[in-house]
This record gives sequence, structure tokens and C-alpha cells, in this order.
Amino acid sequence: MAASNSSKLFRVGLSILGGLSNNALGASRPSSQLADMDFLSQQTRTFIQMRTNLKVVDNSGAKRVMCIQALKGKKGARLGDVIVASVKEAHVGGKVKKGDVHYAVVVRAAMPRGRCDGSEVKFDDNAVVLINKQGEPIGTRVFGPVPHELRKKKHLKILSLAEQIA
Amino acid sequence: MRLEKCWFCSSTVYPGHGIQYVRNDAKIFRFCRSKCHKNFKMKRNPRKVKWTKAYRRLHGKDMTQDSTFEFERKRNRPERYDRNVTENTLKAIKKIDKVRVDREARHIAKRLKPKKAQLQREAARELEQSISMVKAPGALLRDPSLTLPVKVKVSKPETVDNRMEE
Repeated sequence: MAASNSSKLFRVGLSILGGLSNNALGASRPSSQLADMDFLSQQTRTFIQMRTNLKVVDNSGAKRVMCIQALKGKKGARLGDVIVASVKEAHVGGKVKKGDVHYAVVVRAAMPRGRCDGSEVKFDDNAVVLINKQGEPIGTRVFGPVPHELRKKKHLKILSLAEQIA
Repeated sequence: MRLEKCWFCSSTVYPGHGIQYVRNDAKIFRFCRSKCHKNFKMKRNPRKVKWTKAYRRLHGKDMTQDSTFEFERKRNRPERYDRNVTENTLKAIKKIDKVRVDREARHIAKRLKPKKAQLQREAARELEQSISMVKAPGALLRDPSLTLPVKVKVSKPETVDNRMEE
């Protein structure tokens, strides 16, 4: 039952991915333009959705995590949103093991997020911090920069642990 | 509210404009428009790109050392609001800007002056020597009004040409 459920989710996930994936390099373009596009790497960054791999930037023990569900948002999660994620890779002897399902909050997203003053912020990669159901982080340290947006979403503990607030 | 400088072209980024890119080493790059952002993504060095302020300052095209730049340093301590101070600051900003713009213009004029004098001299010499290509020497003798005055003005040859063409 669980297996069939996960396979259904997988198919649904794939269709979403197919619809929303970036169509930057169309096959109809001539080869010289293709070379230019490669060089410029015009990527339209999108939301964090099912099957998205994310980096974990706290010391909870997990290394890589795959998004299972983006709570809030039909198209997916953005910077500052909470997701449900499954741990795919973990450090030995950490607090979390491979295969655990946890909540996580997105602290860095490659997709630009609009700020209330009208400007946009974007980060270099997609990263999360694992939290529990109540919203408290499982780890005790957070690495790398974190955005202001966490303050509005009431993840103050993560902000206090952060070494740099973007 | 804070007016930032674009990382690439050094122009001011006003609130509501531009994109902020946060790298994983927590270095923030602000761009005023997508032109600068795209150049950054192409990994162009602003010191080599001719239209940026960085290039101009490096190659001595624009003023580098001036006392008016001291006023614009970044201050991170918020000042207590004082109406008089604010009023005086606003007046001072206007005045300092005017002074700075004047000094910059003078710097550029000084840079271009030797060339302008040389161009004038060349134009005068060309006028003396090659006037025969425009008007027949006989015509100049017969009708003294057609000859040019001794003090050469650069606009004069154009009027002579126009009359010839008519």
C-alpha cells in the first residue's frame, strides 16, 4: 500500500516537474545560439517541490534531503516556507537517520523572492534547516547566510543561530 | 531606507530596484539592473568593462580623490532623529552633490583640454591650406566678402560650403 502510494506520488511529481521545468534550451535553436545559451546559463529558477533535493545546513546529522510536500503554495515552496522532507543522506551517528521524515524550513533558495521594498533576493543554492512539528530546529548550529524572511515566519531561533543574516 | 551601490557599475540602487544575490560565503552582490546582473553572471570583471565607474576610476577618466567623497561613507549606527540635523543634512547633501558634480566636470574638461586646442589648431591650418578645394582662388580675390576673416571660427567653413552647394 505504501509502495503504491509512493509510486503514485512519484508519477504526479513527474508530471508537475514536466510542466514546470525550464524550457531554456529548445531543440529548434541553431547550434551557435545553443553555445551562447550554455555560456550564459539562462536558468529560470522555480519553486521547491516534490522530489527537490536540498542541502541541509545545520548539524542535525542529515546531509541531503528530498522534499516530499511543500506545505502552503500550490506550485511549491519558496524562501522561508516549511516543507516536509525525507532524509536521503545522513552523517553517521547524527540525530537523524536516513529515511526519516521531518519538517524543514527553506533558508536558501535559488529562486528570487520579492522583498517588501520591491527588490529581489536570491541565493546560490537550495538549503534547509530541519525543524520539528513545533517549529524548533533539531540541530544546534546553522551554517551560511539566512534571509530576513524567517523573522516574519517566526523562525527566530534559526535567526539567532545564524552566522550571517542576508 | 538605504541607497546602495551597484556592485558592477557603481551606480546607486534606489529602493524597489534591482536584484540582490547572496553567495554562500555570505557576500552580497547588489545590481541596479539586469544589464549589470547579466554581465556578472558572464563573470566579466567590472574593471575591464569600459562603461563602469570602476574602469573609469582605474584609468583616470573620472575623479578618484576628493574631499566630497568623505561625506558619503557608510555609517551603520542609526542616529537619533533630530529635526534640525535632518534638515541640515538634506541641505548639505544638495550642496555637496553640486560641488562634486562641478569638480567632476572640471576634471573631465581638464582631461580633454589639450586635445581640443590641438583640434582647433588643426582646423585652422586646414582652412588656410585647403580652402582652394572649396572655392576657386580667383573667386576669393574678386569678391573679398567671400574670404574668411583672419580670426578663424570653426563654424565658418560650414556656411561657406552651404553657400557653394546652393
